[in-house]
Amino acid sequence: MEQNSERTLLVVESIKKYFSTKGGLFKPDKWLKAVDGVSFDVKNDSVFALVGESGCGKSTLARLILKLLFLTEGRILFKGEDISGMTGESLRRFRRSVQIVFQDPFASLNPRMRVIDTLSEPLRIHKLVARRETREKVVQLLEKVGLNQSILNKYPHEFSGGQRQRICIARALSVSPQLIVADEPLSALDVSIQAQILNLLQDLKKETAISLILISHDLNVVHYLSDEVAVMYLGKIVEKAKTEDMFRSPKHPYTELLLSSVPKINFRGHESRLASSKPTVKQGYDVSKPGSEPDSDAPSPLNIPPGCPFHPRCPKRFDVCDKVVPTLKVSGDSLVSCHLY
Amino acid sequence: MLNMSFPLLNINGLSISFNTERGPLQVVSKISLTIRNAEVFGLVGESGCGKSLTALSILRILPNNAYTEGEIFFNNENLLSLPDDQMRKIRGKDISMVFQEPMTSLNPVLTIGYQIAEALRTHYKLSKGAAMDRTIDLLRAVKMPSAELRVKDYPHQLSGGMRQRVLIAMAISCNPALLIADEPTTALDVTVQAQILELLQELRRQRNMAIMLITHDLGIISEQAERVAIMYAGRIMEVADVDELFQNPLHPYTICLLESLPRAKGTALKPIPGFVPSPNQLPKGCKFSDRCRWATDESKSKEPELLEVSRNHYVRCINWNRIQRERF
Repeated sequence: MEQNSERTLLVVESIKKYFSTKGGLFKPDKWLKAVDGVSFDVKNDSVFALVGESGCGKSTLARLILKLLFLTEGRILFKGEDISGMTGESLRRFRRSVQIVFQDPFASLNPRMRVIDTLSEPLRIHKLVARRETREKVVQLLEKVGLNQSILNKYPHEFSGGQRQRICIARALSVSPQLIVADEPLSALDVSIQAQILNLLQDLKKETAISLILISHDLNVVHYLSDEVAVMYLGKIVEKAKTEDMFRSPKHPYTELLLSSVPKINFRGHESRLASSKPTVKQGYDVSKPGSEPDSDAPSPLNIPPGCPFHPRCPKRFDVCDKVVPTLKVSGDSLVSCHLY
Repeated sequence: MLNMSFPLLNINGLSISFNTERGPLQVVSKISLTIRNAEVFGLVGESGCGKSLTALSILRILPNNAYTEGEIFFNNENLLSLPDDQMRKIRGKDISMVFQEPMTSLNPVLTIGYQIAEALRTHYKLSKGAAMDRTIDLLRAVKMPSAELRVKDYPHQLSGGMRQRVLIAMAISCNPALLIADEPTTALDVTVQAQILELLQELRRQRNMAIMLITHDLGIISEQAERVAIMYAGRIMEVADVDELFQNPLHPYTICLLESLPRAKGTALKPIPGFVPSPNQLPKGCKFSDRCRWATDESKSKEPELLEVSRNHYVRCINWNRIQRERF
């Protein structure tokens, strides 16, 4: 709560991250544009969601925010301070303020460390509590995520996926961060367990002033938890809006495609249930027509189409779409990168 | 019942056990279900509930240390007692399967054309050239763009969605009467998932083929299936027509699953407490009783039977009547 004076916690300013890929003997090296000019900001005490298909650069973006990768261009300000310039004590403070929860709780806990070791390590490194009080603090953390002290001396392999993800969340919380980046925190979990973790995140959002960057491909989860959403496509943000606005009236054709693709439960039961009458997903190309470059999947970020990167799949494309790259423009309450607006 | 003759697939009291160092371990217990001609039958459950093992047992491709009891009738023939060479004629021809991971289920060193043609050449004894022509037709049927060029591609040259199309082409190559699709879209993005599911429905209509659709996604079931079985801990807990199941769920596990999905924004979800027990630590009575908020002493001590409580609606719960009254 001490940060109430500043409304924005994190500012991301037209950042780029290019990876170089080695060409062959006679082939030049290529640049993979994983993140290509992305800007947004995260307000205090809010949930910002990033959605998009695999390969759109959302995980790279997460790692850039945590300074686990270095920027090619642009800058990221955390509480007004440029993170790329941070060293020594300021970097240490930054590392304490920003934490990450990874997708796979099976891979992100050290199998040789007991729960108490895993959770007390960050406390020790950041010298947050006296050694005598460490155990007490760890128990408090466990209780916060719905676990109890009986598990203190257990190893990760003794837990189910949901319990492990709780431990990962407790570890992220241990240093009292101001921002948590959650990279697909639910996708490795079973349906009945997802709700437990979702409730936990919801409670944390209510009880603490932590901001959350939620990276997910599950649009139901994003709708449920987030305040603001940015949709990414091939390294760029194509639409950014308040969650409610976006789910009520998506603007970019890609957002529309994403939303219409989510399988929905029909609790009323009617004839339109079967796929025959479901609004069909526009594939944006004609299979029978020779020469139309035909891929229903997202193109590789190594080979981004000219003009609007979405145009080969877009059902609403018109003549300028394959020539001019659209920019993010204000349209109503949202930002959209599409020639239609 | 309009169809007075036998159903396409009739599983009767199927149990699957593993031989372990500590003796046999039963992971699927007395499953019975029927799949009719050309219907989409959904099998839903969380990981480890035995849904994939059930699928593997139909094709008799379980791991070596597993054994089955019970009967699986396909076209009125018990698959479990067929000799191996006869089973081989059914496998991949009358019943075929699409797996979850399109990357691991294709051979990386063979062209996709060769891999699709293999089933045709084995089952129909076609020549290489004839098989290749059929393969190109199949790739067109699964909407593979420029099929005649793509037959020569290797799996790594294709995207995830395209690989799944190749697997589907392979599975439908011999016009199966039953296609088992085990989490066919879990590894794919939502937009690609929608295309693959649409393709499966289209192929089903064209070829009059039944689909056993295994998934954990209730949204997919709601949109694609006609009948649904809900599995938990190796048992079928509830079977019903899809509209009936979502409008009038009767088993506590089904009710809890539906309640745990995110719906209205900001409202607290009702997660299912606890976690799925491992097969050697199941509770004594009803296998869901340790997580069930309606559990009684009776349901905790004696496992209920799967009963038909209304037409075509089966539930494994002794308290379903009371629960239904309490909920409405």
